[in-house]
Amino acid sequence: MPQLEIVDLKASYGSQKVLEHINLSVEKGEIVSLIGPSGSGKSTLLRVLMGLLPPEQGTVRLDGKSVNYANKAEVRELRSSIAIVFQQYNLFQNMTVLENVMITPTRIKGWPKAQVEADAIRLLTRVGLAHRLKAYPDELSGGQQQRVAIARALALKPEVLLLDEVTAALDPELVTEVLDTIRELASEGITMFIVSHEMSFVREVSSKVVFMADGLVVESGSPQQIFDNPQEPRARDFVGKILRH
Amino acid sequence: MTLNFQPLLEQWPYLLGGAWISLQIAVLAFAFGMLIGLLCAAVLRYGPRFARRIVSAYVIFATNTPQLVQIYFLFFALPEVGVTLSPFTAVLIGATFNAGAYLCEIQRAGFDSVRQMEIEAAEVLGFSTPQIIRHVILPHVLKVMFPPLSNQFIVMTLGTSMASIFGVEELTGRTYNLSSQTYLSVEAFSIAAVLYIAITLIATLVLASAGRYLFRAKIKAF
Repeated sequence: MPQLEIVDLKASYGSQKVLEHINLSVEKGEIVSLIGPSGSGKSTLLRVLMGLLPPEQGTVRLDGKSVNYANKAEVRELRSSIAIVFQQYNLFQNMTVLENVMITPTRIKGWPKAQVEADAIRLLTRVGLAHRLKAYPDELSGGQQQRVAIARALALKPEVLLLDEVTAALDPELVTEVLDTIRELASEGITMFIVSHEMSFVREVSSKVVFMADGLVVESGSPQQIFDNPQEPRARDFVGKILRH
Repeated sequence: MTLNFQPLLEQWPYLLGGAWISLQIAVLAFAFGMLIGLLCAAVLRYGPRFARRIVSAYVIFATNTPQLVQIYFLFFALPEVGVTLSPFTAVLIGATFNAGAYLCEIQRAGFDSVRQMEIEAAEVLGFSTPQIIRHVILPHVLKVMFPPLSNQFIVMTLGTSMASIFGVEELTGRTYNLSSQTYLSVEAFSIAAVLYIAITLIATLVLASAGRYLFRAKIKAF
């Protein structure tokens, strides 16, 4: 049974269709990358999965159980199983690094504080920020903030992690540290959806690459297939353009 | 010049009682003003156009006329329409009317400064709306609003001295009484000054601690 299954998903912003006929099936531990031109619906797909944009039609199944996005309580529950990290990190500015990571498990889930704190420190150590536990977000670089955001997203031990252009807002020299963190997570078996423009990174870590355009999945397959031997003309065109430089 | 505090210090219960009345006016006017201000800020943001116009007119009027004139107006206008109020109540209503407008502006600016992205981040972590208000919006808003709010509270506390003009025996009124009985005016008004400072400092600290402990807001009192 696939861990996450998307069947004939459709979504719109008002009258504008942004996703159509999306079908995807993801096994546990797979790293799926979504690539494609801007406006192709990659980030929108992640927003739909998170329940930020209700799907108009179609089904999302997590561990075989279909998600009812109209039910607020169920969507909140889903958000402990699927986590997302945004381009702009969006840390809570009035909380320290440690508090950012601890607030959801302690205040929202009511998990025991001592255990949560130990876990949070372990997570922050893993993203290389054990020395900045008491710092506030505005005292950190963009790359550090993004790594805190990743730790915060992992605090509820989600099964699936969605990364929405997490390096797009970073200065080039800070991109590496964030990619290293993701690479490490990838090797630990958490299922990931990655929307990224870092093509060499996508090629290296992904188990599956999905090429999207105009709200449709145009082609999907192994990184080798999509980057070296794309079948669809639009995919070939896109890959040709990005690999030329 | 020789100073003689002794006869005045013997009157400390009388003066402290006056300070207590001043504090009552300030706290009540601040509390009611916060409610009016919150309501007005909500109307300015979400209300229909004509309601926004009315609120704007109120804010412009109340912030561009002297508070003393506003209280005088109420003091003389209300009895004309058959409402007789005690001096304390009239002063309280005047102070509240004035404060509501300033507190509306402070709260509007505070809520406008909430970062939409942080709210979305809390949503995707599974926060409910009340949890978002409690853990994300209020700590931020309180932190942003705290300096102008405490400033407004201080201005209001000091403004309560106007009540003495209307016969309310608060700190300034009682100090005046003592000064005319004892002719120790300099001493009397220095004691009053110290008491005013004590009230505003304590109130600022209490407000800051409440914000810090209730909402974990990063508030610096001084």
